[in-house]
Amino acid sequence: MEILLSISVGVLVAAAVYLMLARNVLRFIFGLILISNAANLVIFTSGRLTLGAPPLIEEGALLPPEGVANALPQALVLTAIVIGFGLFAFALILVYRAYTTLGTLYSDDMRVAEPRSEDAG
Amino acid sequence: MAQAPDRSTGALDYLVVRKIYGNKAPQSGSDETGDKMAQATGDGPKSNGILGPVPVLIPLAIFIWSLSFIGPVSNGEVVRLSYDWVPSLGISLSFLIDGLSLTFTLLISGIGALVMLYSNTYLAGHPQYGRFMLYLTSFMLAMLGLVLADNLISLFVFWELTTITSYLLIGFDNESAKSRRSALQALLLTGAGALALLAGLIILGVAAGTFEISEILAKGDEIRAHALYLPILILVLAGAFTKSAQFPFHFWLPNAMAAPTPVSAFLHSATMVKAGVYLMARLHPALSGTDVWMWTLTIFGAVTAVFASVLAFRQTDLKQVLAYTTLMALGTLTLFLAFDSGYAITAFTTFLITHSLYKAALFLMVGCIDHGTGTREADILGGLGRIMPFTAAAAALAALSMAGIPPFIGFIAKELMYAGAVEAATSPVFVASMALAANALMFAVAGIVAFKPFWRPGQPTPVEPHEAPWPMLAGPIILAVLGLIVGIAPGLIQGTLVTPTVAALLGSADEAKELKLWAGVNLPLFLSLGTFAIGFVLYVFHQPLRRTLAAIDARAPNFDRGWDRVLDGLKALAEFQTRLIQSGVLRRYIFITFATLFAAIGTTLYLRTDLPDLEGIEVLAPKQWAVVALIIAGTISVVLTRSRITAIAALGVVGIAVALIFIMYGAPDVAITQLLVETLVVVLVAIAMLSLPFLDKPGRHDHRPLDAVLALGVGTVTTITMLLVLQQPIDLRLTEYFEQTSWPEAFGRNIVNVILVDFRALDTFGEIAVVVVAALSAYALLRTTAKEAQ
Amino acid sequence: MSWYLSLPLAIPFITAIFAFFARKSVYGKWISVIGSGASLLASAALMYVVLQEGVIAGQMGNWPAPFGITLVADLLSAVMVVITAITGFAVAIYCMGEITERMEYLGYHALFQVLLAGVTGAFLTGDLFNLYVWFEVMLISSFGLLILGGRKEQIDGGIKYVTLNLISTILFLSGIGLIYGMTGTLNLADLSLAVERVENQGLLTVVAVMFMIAFGVKAALFPLFFWLPAAYHTPAFSVSAVFAGLLTKVGVYALIRMFTLVFDHDVQFTHTLLLWVAAFTMIVGVLGAAAQSDFRKILSFHIVSQIGYMIMGLALSTKFALVGAVFYLVHHIIVKANLFLIAGVANRIAGSTELSRIGGLYKSAPLLGILFLIPAFSLAGFPPLSGFWAKYILVAAAIEIEAWVIAGIALLVGLLTIYSMTKIWGQAFWPAHPDGIEPKLSHMPKFQRWCYLLPIAGLATLTIIIGLFPEPFVTFAERAADQLLDPTEYVTTVLGERAP
Repeated sequence: MEILLSISVGVLVAAAVYLMLARNVLRFIFGLILISNAANLVIFTSGRLTLGAPPLIEEGALLPPEGVANALPQALVLTAIVIGFGLFAFALILVYRAYTTLGTLYSDDMRVAEPRSEDAG
Repeated sequence: MAQAPDRSTGALDYLVVRKIYGNKAPQSGSDETGDKMAQATGDGPKSNGILGPVPVLIPLAIFIWSLSFIGPVSNGEVVRLSYDWVPSLGISLSFLIDGLSLTFTLLISGIGALVMLYSNTYLAGHPQYGRFMLYLTSFMLAMLGLVLADNLISLFVFWELTTITSYLLIGFDNESAKSRRSALQALLLTGAGALALLAGLIILGVAAGTFEISEILAKGDEIRAHALYLPILILVLAGAFTKSAQFPFHFWLPNAMAAPTPVSAFLHSATMVKAGVYLMARLHPALSGTDVWMWTLTIFGAVTAVFASVLAFRQTDLKQVLAYTTLMALGTLTLFLAFDSGYAITAFTTFLITHSLYKAALFLMVGCIDHGTGTREADILGGLGRIMPFTAAAAALAALSMAGIPPFIGFIAKELMYAGAVEAATSPVFVASMALAANALMFAVAGIVAFKPFWRPGQPTPVEPHEAPWPMLAGPIILAVLGLIVGIAPGLIQGTLVTPTVAALLGSADEAKELKLWAGVNLPLFLSLGTFAIGFVLYVFHQPLRRTLAAIDARAPNFDRGWDRVLDGLKALAEFQTRLIQSGVLRRYIFITFATLFAAIGTTLYLRTDLPDLEGIEVLAPKQWAVVALIIAGTISVVLTRSRITAIAALGVVGIAVALIFIMYGAPDVAITQLLVETLVVVLVAIAMLSLPFLDKPGRHDHRPLDAVLALGVGTVTTITMLLVLQQPIDLRLTEYFEQTSWPEAFGRNIVNVILVDFRALDTFGEIAVVVVAALSAYALLRTTAKEAQ
Repeated sequence: MSWYLSLPLAIPFITAIFAFFARKSVYGKWISVIGSGASLLASAALMYVVLQEGVIAGQMGNWPAPFGITLVADLLSAVMVVITAITGFAVAIYCMGEITERMEYLGYHALFQVLLAGVTGAFLTGDLFNLYVWFEVMLISSFGLLILGGRKEQIDGGIKYVTLNLISTILFLSGIGLIYGMTGTLNLADLSLAVERVENQGLLTVVAVMFMIAFGVKAALFPLFFWLPAAYHTPAFSVSAVFAGLLTKVGVYALIRMFTLVFDHDVQFTHTLLLWVAAFTMIVGVLGAAAQSDFRKILSFHIVSQIGYMIMGLALSTKFALVGAVFYLVHHIIVKANLFLIAGVANRIAGSTELSRIGGLYKSAPLLGILFLIPAFSLAGFPPLSGFWAKYILVAAAIEIEAWVIAGIALLVGLLTIYSMTKIWGQAFWPAHPDGIEPKLSHMPKFQRWCYLLPIAGLATLTIIIGLFPEPFVTFAERAADQLLDPTEYVTTVLGERAP
């Protein structure tokens, strides 16, 4: 499964890169969503995969049963998902603002901060 | 960048004629010139108040204080002071007073006092007089620090301080584009040299094992034999040559005449331009004596001297004439530093003093003429002898010294030069003829500067000529008379300055030759007589000669224009590069970022690792295949679709599939969060889309093959890296610790939760901060109205 | 020990909360100033303790390293925290003059304080994932500050800034996943030991390069710096000052930390790569500056160029070179933040930052002229100002190991820096104003004038002090470099009895 997941991550990353390079910044947002998923999968998989068995300690036990899943990457992924969501939400609203302020979603046309030299002159 | 608007007229010709208090003066294509003096006549003299006399006292005090060192220094003593400055870098603020530094100190402070006295009148009532005096005094102090420093790095610090202050002084008339251009040119050119010098000094310090100059000088043989001697020499000379305006770095100096005349007198006679000469003299014991040293200095010095004499001849603005004769003097000084014979170094020292005296006097004298007539144009000026008798007298005395007529000190210096040239073992004919050519031209130039304006007929000047007030006359007269006194009684400087200086360079006072007016009938005397004859002929025919020279000069390569071309080229390169890299196109930025990632990771993978080992593929259950298939299918749909609804749906599918993986591999909490967040994401995107346009412009496709190649590349290196990582054994210490302590110590049964709220609570705290701030930022973003956005 | 470490982190957060609730009142800005002052005291206390006792570490929640999160301060961290607090305090005062009520209402001061908290956290944490979290805190608050005001160019610059930084963030996160997968640990001190046990050292280099790129974007290295010149000239001046001073330096700090503590296994490869990157960063940055004609754009490209110097120090990785890197880092923050503040004053009294549209500052505002020349000449490396020593040490360090090419480049770039700095002086200060107005400082209301000039004068004074009395700073940088080159003290302090 590690191999398959590695390939899935590769596919996600490739798709994300392609989308991020698109003219329309909304596609960048799509790419961002995909690549965030990819990063989370990298962390999760790096902690190695264990089928079933969430890392819980049963009532009355001191330790979790043998062979539970690796808890640390799960915690990291949880943090990363939430942080990623915060960044994503901001980025989405920024894209929305860019459309209402600059009147375009095409990054090639966003040339206010760095005007073309012929515009500047 | 200061761009001269009328560059085509030739940058050297601008200092021509000016308008002063409303008089209509001939404007030969020039804008305003350097000096913007508030005139002392007209509305009555304005005073500079307390600021007037005080700056004079500083150099005067230093001068008097330095005189007290003459006794010990002439007895061969060396006074040394040292303060630790940056001991951990081996840098101390140490000072050394020997013959060389004392000679310079006296020249700087003495001429400094006279120049400041002069400035007080010359710039009386100028609104920025305070700034001027601040810069000039700072400059003088920096220069004194430079010649007294006994530590290479301290010396460099003072060196750069003179660069900065002279930048501000040359650009003093800051609203004139010419001044700004000249200031920048001097800054960049000497700044470039200074950086080479810094490198040279560091290497020298590393090679010698110390930055203390007096210690380095004692290790001359060691340094000359060092493997890095040549780079040291080249770098140090690069600094010295740019600062002392040696050919081909000479052109900044005439341009620097944009500064007020007292500045020119000070910077370009005794001080700034001599800093390079000083440096060569200072390091003479450590670096000289090799063929490279000898030939480099001989050639650069000689070429500069002759080249500058010819150009001096070509000028019509008196200040420009003097600027070029300064170049000639610098070339001559460099030429004589090439050798280490007693005659050469005695000639060097004597000429150093001689030149400082007469050149400062002449610059100040030209200032008086300018002040009194409103022009410095040699072709216009004439017949001033009766109206400005004191100026004329000062000019005559200084010029006679310059022309090398007995009994002035200039004559002695010239005789010594010829003696030194004859003695130069390898190239006596070359050196002597160079010196002869330069001296003859000097003779003629002296006539142009000091004879013609006063005693030959001229044309009407912009201002009714009048004599300069005494504070302006004091300087030129004192300096010019000194040239006569020490000529008649050379003993005054022989034991006090010349011999100790020669001793500082050659290590022994016995090497110094005697300064005398009559050395008998010998070869130098004949050369002197030859000089007079040639010089006289040149003077008589100077006007036709000048026209010829001007014609030649117009066709010769113009360094000043070359400089502009260098700067334009630099600017063009910078703009080209910036257009190329910082294009303003976001997609290009992202492309380069990912391309860098791909190239760097790909190369490192190729160089440092083998391909992952794909053996032992486990048998997977259908549901695992299904999840992966879902991810891939969803991903590909997002990429390919042009429909917004499909894109959102596909994103949702990918999110759910990832959540399924989390569930499958024992992470239900993560899965729930993932589902929740993924839902929010999809909903937010959907809402945003309500007010956003379609993904593609109608009729346009989003096919980008190059991007696709890069994307596949990045995906591939990601997969390979991940596979390689997963083939490493994992160390589960941390997780084991969490499992063991989660319940007993942290009282939580859900280990993931315990990690979040206890073991790594700080992460969670930061995470909350991110979400809160994201909300705040998003709110700010939404609350900005379109009106504010204007 | 813990208090010394957590106070500089906690104070800005607390200040942010108060400032947020006071955002509609006139007290918001004073809360920000007072909070920044308190941070300065707290960071000074931290510095004192670190100077006295060496590296200090605090285990958050009392979970021993490497299991919990450790805050740790060696000399480098401590000085970065202090310099952050100094910059924060200076800019907070400046904000009182610049920030409009509307921006205050939208939470300016709270965002500003959270930004400082994020930066401080990044300097103090001893945990790789926690570093990621602080990066994000810093990033999201910088997003907010950047677009506050909502002018067109801010939104445009914001798009570029946000997209490129998000890419870096994701890379960083993936890198953390991968290095955890190889070593099983996240604690930096523990990592420095664990990387030695990794079988596939080549793969470690791959991950190191990944971090180099992730931090390289943050630090604005060639060819990853695009977001910086695209955005830094757009927000409020106090914002660009604090960005210019601090944000890229967090990236540089992270590079220094990771490539001295963790990734020192393949120096031949990684540090050679860094050296090339440093060279190109220096040259491309300074040429970029030479091509600009806007006060802030010139300064922005200079940041890039000067990051190259710091990375050069790291790449040469001798003790002397690291001394130079640390010295440069500290000097640059003070000087660069100050220049942006000065650009704000020029804009305020002369009406623009576009150099062709302003002038006359030298004549009408000579005080501003002096205050500009100090950091400008310092940046250009003129003695006796702080930048000279920074440049001197780096060049001398390169010459010492006969790295002629990089030494030559460093010097040449110094010359081009002079050139581009004099562009500002030669256009905004020396010539008369094209519209004939006289930009006088006295045109500003008195309170605003003081708010603007006090921090500028304070930072300029620091520049002069470092320049005239460099010895204590050099000695300090030497001790910091010793700690970086031999992380034993760092590791044993963090890991305690678990250290080998």
